[in-house]
Amino acid sequence: MATFAIRRALWLLVVLFAISVLVFLIFFATPGVDPARQMAGRNPSPETIKNIKHEFGLDRPLPVRYGLLMKHMFISRDLISYGSHTRVIPEVLSATPVTLSLVFGAAVIWVVFSILTGVAAAVFRGTVIDPILMILALIGISVPVFWLGEVVNLVTQSRLHNFFLFSWVPPLGYTPLTQDPLMWFEQLIFPWLTLSVLYIGFYARVLRANLIETENEDYIRTARAKGLSERRVLLRHTLRTSMITFVSLFGLDFGILVGGGALLTEVVFGLPGVGLLTYNSLTALDLPVIMTTVIYGAFFITLANALVDLLYAWLDPRVRPA
Amino acid sequence: MRSRSLFQLLTLIGLAALVLTACGGSSKKKSSASSSGNAGGTLMTVAKGAPSGSPDPQINYTLQEWQLLIITHDGLLGFKRASGTEGTKLVPDLATAIPKPQNGGKTFVFHIRKGIKFSDGKELKPSDVKYTFERLFKIGQSPNAGTWYNVIVGGDACVKTPATCDLSKGVIADDAAGTVTFHLTKGDPEFFDKLAVPFAFILPTGTPNKEVQLPPAGTGPYKFVQYNPNKQIKLVRNTNFKEWSKDAQPNGNPDVIIQKFGLSAEAEVTQVENGQADWVFDTPPSDRLNEISTKYADQVHVNPLTAVWYWAFNVRIPPFNNLQARQAVNFATDRNALVKIYGGPKLAVPTCQILPPNFPGYKPYCPYTKNPGSGKWTAPDMAKAKQLIAASGTKGASVKVNTDTVETDKALGLYFVGLLNKLGYKASLQALSPDIQYPYCQNSKNKVQFCWSSWYQDYPAASDFLNILLGCSSFIPNSNASPNIAEFCDKGIQAQMDAALQQGITDPSGANTKWQAIDKAVTDQAPWVALFNPKYIDFLSKRVKGYQFSPQWYFLLAQASVK
Amino acid sequence: MAVFEPEAEGIVLDAEETGGDIAGRSPWALAGRRLVRNKLALAALALFVLIVAISFAAPLYSKHVANTDPFESNISGTVTIDGKTEPVLQQGGGKLGLGETPIGPTWHSHYLLGADNQGRDVAARVLYGGRASLEIGLGSALLASFLAVVFGLVAGFFGGLTDTGISRLMDLIWAFPVYLLAISLATVLLTAPNGLNLGIFNVSASSLWIPLVIIGVIYVPYVFRPIRGQVLSLREREFVEAAIAQGASNFRLIFREILPNVASTVIVLLPLIIATTILTESALSYLSIGVQPPKASWGTIIEDGQALLYTRPTVAIAPGVMIVLTVLALNVLGDGLRDALDPRSKVRMK
Repeated sequence: MATFAIRRALWLLVVLFAISVLVFLIFFATPGVDPARQMAGRNPSPETIKNIKHEFGLDRPLPVRYGLLMKHMFISRDLISYGSHTRVIPEVLSATPVTLSLVFGAAVIWVVFSILTGVAAAVFRGTVIDPILMILALIGISVPVFWLGEVVNLVTQSRLHNFFLFSWVPPLGYTPLTQDPLMWFEQLIFPWLTLSVLYIGFYARVLRANLIETENEDYIRTARAKGLSERRVLLRHTLRTSMITFVSLFGLDFGILVGGGALLTEVVFGLPGVGLLTYNSLTALDLPVIMTTVIYGAFFITLANALVDLLYAWLDPRVRPA
Repeated sequence: MRSRSLFQLLTLIGLAALVLTACGGSSKKKSSASSSGNAGGTLMTVAKGAPSGSPDPQINYTLQEWQLLIITHDGLLGFKRASGTEGTKLVPDLATAIPKPQNGGKTFVFHIRKGIKFSDGKELKPSDVKYTFERLFKIGQSPNAGTWYNVIVGGDACVKTPATCDLSKGVIADDAAGTVTFHLTKGDPEFFDKLAVPFAFILPTGTPNKEVQLPPAGTGPYKFVQYNPNKQIKLVRNTNFKEWSKDAQPNGNPDVIIQKFGLSAEAEVTQVENGQADWVFDTPPSDRLNEISTKYADQVHVNPLTAVWYWAFNVRIPPFNNLQARQAVNFATDRNALVKIYGGPKLAVPTCQILPPNFPGYKPYCPYTKNPGSGKWTAPDMAKAKQLIAASGTKGASVKVNTDTVETDKALGLYFVGLLNKLGYKASLQALSPDIQYPYCQNSKNKVQFCWSSWYQDYPAASDFLNILLGCSSFIPNSNASPNIAEFCDKGIQAQMDAALQQGITDPSGANTKWQAIDKAVTDQAPWVALFNPKYIDFLSKRVKGYQFSPQWYFLLAQASVK
Repeated sequence: MAVFEPEAEGIVLDAEETGGDIAGRSPWALAGRRLVRNKLALAALALFVLIVAISFAAPLYSKHVANTDPFESNISGTVTIDGKTEPVLQQGGGKLGLGETPIGPTWHSHYLLGADNQGRDVAARVLYGGRASLEIGLGSALLASFLAVVFGLVAGFFGGLTDTGISRLMDLIWAFPVYLLAISLATVLLTAPNGLNLGIFNVSASSLWIPLVIIGVIYVPYVFRPIRGQVLSLREREFVEAAIAQGASNFRLIFREILPNVASTVIVLLPLIIATTILTESALSYLSIGVQPPKASWGTIIEDGQALLYTRPTVAIAPGVMIVLTVLALNVLGDGLRDALDPRSKVRMK
């Protein structure tokens, strides 16, 4: 087990390295990319461009540039953004609480509601409730999240804003929890709901399918034969087994979201989180910020992957060889 | 008897009180020293993001930051803080007077005002001026050090070796006499304008000779206390400021000015409507324009800009190395449609020429319209265009129409793709990210045939448009920094421009007549399709009073009041 | 997003079936029968086919019904409804007259759903957009599935270092920032003088192949995981052991024993994958790094509609509704296929 963990940790480092090199190469292979020229303003003299190149180490060979970038990011931690000429790491650190607020809130909502929905659908199998819930879940996973967010904005900010139900909705943005908890909540409630719609649908279906599948396993039949009540069977046996898949999938998705995967939600709702920072830096071709956010994201995705694989390996020795 | 004396006493007391409050009130007005509204309060402004680029005042080249730098720092000269044409006039700021040119326009002696303090308490001295100009070169990243300020003696050497920059021969500061003498390598009719923009605003001696993250102490009525590009910029009053010239640097009304970042343009407009923000820097999104012009019309101000949006032909490669082809496209362009794309006739005015209206050297001229002669564009002339295309022999050529991915610019591009196809070309769209597009078009290596661009004045001088965008020395082959995108170079016209520049040193109005003729001559050569002159929208919250729009600095933030 | 692994093992009786029903029928015929009996899945299939049909009929619609070229701007155009002629773009009202607003839905054949910022017919564009979105969605799903099957078979069957190597490669692809790749590739192609030249292929900047390949590649890990898992477990099964005992070559084992079983997994997953690729394409296009102008897709039209959201929400809502319907139909169909091939997970009467 320990060797497995160490191996995956090493692999994490390899992934981060490989991705950072790829990002670096892609960036400089993109034609028209000239950070020194971009930073030099609208009508610079050639000397200005040369000086900026030198200042930011852009006149050195590629491997040296890569090394400098990594040094500034991890060792001296004073990496400077090409766009704002200020430090990148504080920028990313100030964006992280926004993403975490969004993702944690949405996760709480989706976990609670998907468990309720999935269990309800499984328990009420055979009645009309099951298909209705499943159709709703299907609709949930069929809606593009950015479109849903736009429609939500349209309704709450514009069309029905004067209606009592939505008049309290503040303009889009983010207020730190420590600054104004009520505003923090009000500005996040609709992003939470929008982001969780997709996941409620998906996890409800997964849970329901797992519950039903587990139901047919022999050990459940044995439990029933022993005379245990349906509810007991459901909660103590079936649910617990089904939660394994649920938890592993949750781990993967949560990792992706924390790593900046909620980009679209952040863009639509104007939340200055890591996803929005990633997107802005990509369109502005700001390599230091791009590299930092990409490594940040890759770290969480790969970490989540490793943790989930660890969980599976612990539970099911067949899968271990990889 | 007694009641009458009591009445007299009370009257006296009342009168005394009245006189006292009147005196107190007027002296209060004197200290706030502004003609509109009352002092105090916080002006809350919002912008999508921080001014792009470094916060350093000698590096940043954005209007967004310049609007703040003009109230935190001063130059030797300044543009009058007024609206209309008054706002284009130069007035003495840290200098006592605008000096007369000596030595054929190569020497200027400025007398520096006494008693002006920086926000850190230090007193302004002439040696601070020399320090400031040397720093301009030493930091190495000032965009125009090598193009504007190298006219100072010693400037070229400073551009080559910034670290050892020595301007002792070009900027002579005499602290005892209180003067600064500038020696230039040649006469420069725009030297005064260059002294009045933030690159040349005076900084205290000792400011580090490398890029700073917070603008240093200045002599203006405000000072920067916070510059966080992800959160906000905060300006508070400079307590060491005493107004010395209402024209050059009037005291400000708000006590605090804040610019918050991070919201989308839609959210910003909503905030202003709700009174949560006082002013939004960004242009309101097009789908809110109708809303603000109907429901909030009193809070909206629209002002013309000395700016032009245009499409540059590449006059050196086919098919637009052919004059008739260029003229044809000019005749065929429906500038009304393009104005609509921008937001309607109230937001943009069609143009055919290089210089914008109300600019020195401007005279209305439009040959590319149906029934030319009035100087105004009225309608496209498709018939003439088709004639010219046939005569040019360029039909069937493939053209890449280059623009950026911003919605409006992309829409303009798509219009031209359709137009060029109608004219018989094979056109396609090439929409690049805004951060790449401008330098990409500038580089002749990329062989861009037809490229979108825009130009907003640096200062009111005809050469700022004509010479910088269409002068021979502005075309640098294979460089990402070649502002003459059209690669236009006409020896005859260039000679006229040089003559006008020379004349401008001593006879600005005579020179402007020359610039009129140059504008006409260049327009006839059709290096561009000039589209329109845009206007600027300022959307303010209900409580803001005393709005003024300067053609140089746009909305004068500190002159408005929120109390 | 993560996916769970279905397992199609052997033949199981559906609730309504008897032994007599299934005797002598192949598993595929059985699946077909069950699918046909599933009304909901059939309805979903019909809906999907309908959407595909009208999307591919887009040229007919725009030429004969709407009388418009949905890719050309029509800024100064006018439209005549019931005798009244109106400009397509109308100036803002009030004292200031700022802004230009396109006309809203006319509910007639011209400009059925109104116009967008450039005076183009939204309904026609939504149909054309459907073509692009469906082509990319289907194409990338097939590409991803094909590659995933190849890699999954090799990794699962040969195991050991090959498996480790391929699985780690998949991890890398999964963690890679797709947006960066999309932006960079789009820029490379836009700025290359004549599009991208790959030997015999010439890809122009607005080609649909770019988003297709990008999306196809990034979803390979998504499909790879369940396939590899299944191959791993199939490898241990008796019929494989029997074939090995008979002296079957690796080639025969892979292609004749394992692949057919894997195929049913892929078929069940395919609608789900297509649904996911369609959603991803719309997200990339929404961010302007998917389909490039002048081509349109549902995602690009939503992006166009974003600038009109407060005044003409139809432009953003119409393509979104189309996406929801298409993806929903695919998901229901996917459910139906899975039930047809493995009825154990179906809704049962108690």
